[in-house]
Amino acid sequence: MRDARQVGQDENFDTLRARNERIAIGALVSIKILRSDSEHGTRWQEFRTPYQKAMRVLDALNAVALQDAPDLAFRWFCGSKMCGTCGVRMNGREVLACWEAVEPEMRIEPLRNLPVVRDLVVDRTPYERKVASFEPWLTRTQPYPGFPEPMSHREIKHASKALDCISCASCYSACPVVRLGPLTDFAGPAPLVQLGQTALDPRQDQHQVARALSRSGIFNCVSCYKCEEVCPAHIPIVSGVIEPLKAKTAQLVPQMAQHPLAFRAVVARRGRIDPGELILRTQGLRVLAVLPRLLRLLTRGKINPFRTLLGFKTPAAGPANRILKGAGGPS
Amino acid sequence: MKFAYYPGCSARSTCAELNVATHRVAQKLGLDLVPIESATCTGARELRAIDPLSFYTLNVRILALAEREGLPLMTICNTCTLNLLDAHAAVCDDAQLLKTVNEELRAEGLQYNRSTRISHFLWVLYEDIGEEKLSSLVTKPLKGLTVAAFYGCHITRPPARYGFVDSRNNAALEKLATLLGCEPIDYSGRTECCGFHTAAHDERIAIKLTGQHILSAKQNGAKTMVTPCPLCHTVLDSFQKEIEKDIGQDLNVPILHLPQLVGLALGLSHDELNIDRHMISFDEPT
Repeated sequence: MRDARQVGQDENFDTLRARNERIAIGALVSIKILRSDSEHGTRWQEFRTPYQKAMRVLDALNAVALQDAPDLAFRWFCGSKMCGTCGVRMNGREVLACWEAVEPEMRIEPLRNLPVVRDLVVDRTPYERKVASFEPWLTRTQPYPGFPEPMSHREIKHASKALDCISCASCYSACPVVRLGPLTDFAGPAPLVQLGQTALDPRQDQHQVARALSRSGIFNCVSCYKCEEVCPAHIPIVSGVIEPLKAKTAQLVPQMAQHPLAFRAVVARRGRIDPGELILRTQGLRVLAVLPRLLRLLTRGKINPFRTLLGFKTPAAGPANRILKGAGGPS
Repeated sequence: MKFAYYPGCSARSTCAELNVATHRVAQKLGLDLVPIESATCTGARELRAIDPLSFYTLNVRILALAEREGLPLMTICNTCTLNLLDAHAAVCDDAQLLKTVNEELRAEGLQYNRSTRISHFLWVLYEDIGEEKLSSLVTKPLKGLTVAAFYGCHITRPPARYGFVDSRNNAALEKLATLLGCEPIDYSGRTECCGFHTAAHDERIAIKLTGQHILSAKQNGAKTMVTPCPLCHTVLDSFQKEIEKDIGQDLNVPILHLPQLVGLALGLSHDELNIDRHMISFDEPT
């Protein structure tokens, strides 16, 4: 039986073995770099360098800078996945240059969603300002009990995951909602991970958490997992940081969580989602703005007002009601 | 082959045509779908975030209902699939969580022993039917139909669940489309996000994101798009008029549910597959 979840992995060199075997020592690696500066504007420039064993993207960039383009601007410091400064986009995905194997043909661009200073160097100020606006420090409300301070692994689980962040901004570049710019107030995955380091710490002042979350636009996260996919520190950004922060928001700033709270109420009542009731509860009178679509949905039988008004009694209602009521509200 | 069948909320309401098409195709494929009448919502992204314990309980309950029947569980929605997989993984990792959830389920005489196999319809086609048998069942190859596969997020990410370094390397839908006689096309939106999960409170994100994807599919020559997820379908199809308004041009790209595409190749009619229930009508190439 074939594992259908991974169709395409071998064919597209998605496994470590396939990736390592596809390029021979000494073969020329093509490196196309998106270069930009105030004098020449933006352009692609191609370089070639022979492949060496265990060659990383960073080695290829260093070879280009040494042989062909001494004026190539790119950042790196530790070379060992610690400092988070060498993030770039390689063939359309965010990687740390110091930790990513070269591919036979590479298109290397600066990270997205941040202004480019020159070539592969981006200005991190917008990201840092967002982090600073979250007051990312721990403020105790209880006096320090002295060392050792007892804390269970369950209590600190999420914050400790967030503390693995190396601030490389790969996720910030990969996020499709951040990419939409000022359309929303979504802070983006990287700033939220930074916020998680303190907001998910049980010792943190909850007023400070509420202030930060109210500026986070957190419910504009579309849960696409693009951030988790590119995170070099393997932080479960969506499930281990953003979702626990959403739970905090529902507790501390419930007016931001109207949609998930309405969702919970609909499931508790019917066992399943009735789209009509969910939209009415979430949007109220704003629903009038989408009236043309509702009429179209109605003519195709995709929504059913009678069921919205009368159809509470599904066989799923009893169990859902017991489970959700028993839980005593959102945790 | 017998499966406990979990359609999810969307295929019971806004995408009821998906439920109909799945049953028709299952019949053709020799799949026996056993309904689990009292199955609840899996909690989508909302309940999952704000009330994790209830989320686990609802999902594990569905898994326990399938386990009681001694059947694997077939899903047709990406988000439900990931929720069930995540809940299964969580109780496999955390014995304390399993105990808490099972205590809650005891009221109904249920208990989960972590044995339910969860499989999306797409995976069932590969794993239980097999490419060879499916090819032999194709009576009406969809020659000349250029298809843009739209995976949706939760069937190819997160990497911790599916194992892709780069989720764009998933090729299950294109491979399947080729097998059905269609011509899959490459475009930028294949494994991108439709924005459904924020659409109930602010649909602008979904409209902006999905606009780029449909436009890219159309510009690369797609006559239709196919998706294994009813939530993606809702944005791609039901929001397409608003998307056209937003980008200032006509798109008119019909969107098929995966079972509908399979059903067409197996010789089922538009009516049998409820294809005319979509906002954007689909005409087969002649």
